[in-house]
Amino acid sequence: MTITQKTEANAIVLECEGRLDTTTAPELEAVLLPVFDTNPTVILDFKYLEYVSSAGLRVLLKGQKKAVAVGGSMTVRNVMDEIIEVFEMTGFIDVLTVERI
Amino acid sequence: MSIIKVENLEKRFGDNIILHDVSCEIERGDIVSIIGPSGSGKSTFLRAINFLSPPTAGEVYFDGERVDKKNVNEVRRKMSMVFQNFGLFSHLTALQNLCAGPMKLLGKTKEQAEEKAYELLKTVGLTERANHYPHELSGGQKQRVAIARCLAMEPEVILFDEPTSALDPTMVGEVMAVIRNLSKTGLTLLIVTHEMSFAREVSSRVFYMDEGGIYESGAPEEIFSAPQKPKTQEFIYRIRSFNYDVASVDFDSFELLSGIDAFCFSHAVDGALAKKLRLIAEELVINIVVPKFKKCSLTVSFSDKIGRYEVTVAYPGSIENALDTAEDDLAAMMIRGTATQVEHKYEDEINTLKLSL
Repeated sequence: MTITQKTEANAIVLECEGRLDTTTAPELEAVLLPVFDTNPTVILDFKYLEYVSSAGLRVLLKGQKKAVAVGGSMTVRNVMDEIIEVFEMTGFIDVLTVERI
Repeated sequence: MSIIKVENLEKRFGDNIILHDVSCEIERGDIVSIIGPSGSGKSTFLRAINFLSPPTAGEVYFDGERVDKKNVNEVRRKMSMVFQNFGLFSHLTALQNLCAGPMKLLGKTKEQAEEKAYELLKTVGLTERANHYPHELSGGQKQRVAIARCLAMEPEVILFDEPTSALDPTMVGEVMAVIRNLSKTGLTLLIVTHEMSFAREVSSRVFYMDEGGIYESGAPEEIFSAPQKPKTQEFIYRIRSFNYDVASVDFDSFELLSGIDAFCFSHAVDGALAKKLRLIAEELVINIVVPKFKKCSLTVSFSDKIGRYEVTVAYPGSIENALDTAEDDLAAMMIRGTATQVEHKYEDEINTLKLSL
């Protein structure tokens, strides 16, 4: 997975490309959680993310909790239909702030 | 009349008989894929047909004429070969590689040869690379140049000896696309390949080689969907399944997941379906079964019986449906939300979970 960090308006954007699975979830966790300490408004851009497994969902949950803890926000945008399906079957669609593609 | 006729061909190296009493006929315009396990003589067969490695017994006829040492060079001009490792002249550019044969052997002028070479490079999508040397090209580009070089000799038959086996998976598609286009031109093609979905798609006939010869032949649907003989059935089933044994919790999860990706790629599994197969295997093996049972055996396969893909995970221990007792609720939820059917069996102290998609 490739993670590219950008700044957009008042938010930090993390563009994720590839797969968020058991082998790559630790990479996102290592980047995502510290970002909230510099800017509490974080956008995860999943335009080029094609797969999310439960390991990836756990990282997203940690990110969401961190966002709440610091009084910020985490938005997941440009989410492909197949990943929306995963969010729906696990109830994450109600936990995360999700913007479809 | 057949363009190639092989009669009782034998090829031996010392006492080692590789091919024994092989006979077949190839019609003009046939696209024949030659499949089979490693060491079954597929490449040897191709090399024997064009006398790169002459048969030790038997006959080969090309367009009705018996091939022998005297006419073999003439025959090879009409029956070109594409090799695994491209076989390009490293000191010549792509354009020069295409022009050398026609100028030397077909009596073409440089202008004529270059005009044709540019035309052929265009058909394989490499006009821009005309003046590049082989070391400046990717593997896929080199193989496309090699195919164009064959075409420059205006052959009637092209023999492909595992044309994609030396390529990165990312480059296989570009070479297969070129061969796919060639298959529509009326040329006669013999292709030794391990790319089964490709063989199934482009071939008019498939030879399955085993036991020193053409063990079974038929239309792609016959060979891939309803093979008649035991070794063909075994081979086809094996190539249509991916197996992975996990021996401890420290197993290589990268290898497991990339193995599933490679299986889905080589079987042209639809992208969305491939992701679901991967998801089920990842959640069940990595997050549910291995943490609790320490070892398991995974099989991803296509079931002809139900016309669906299946993921099967077998693990030892007392009777227990790991999906029902999973501590990882999230993984279990994802599996249940993805699989269309879940079946648990217990036999001989082995639990088997079979999930259909």
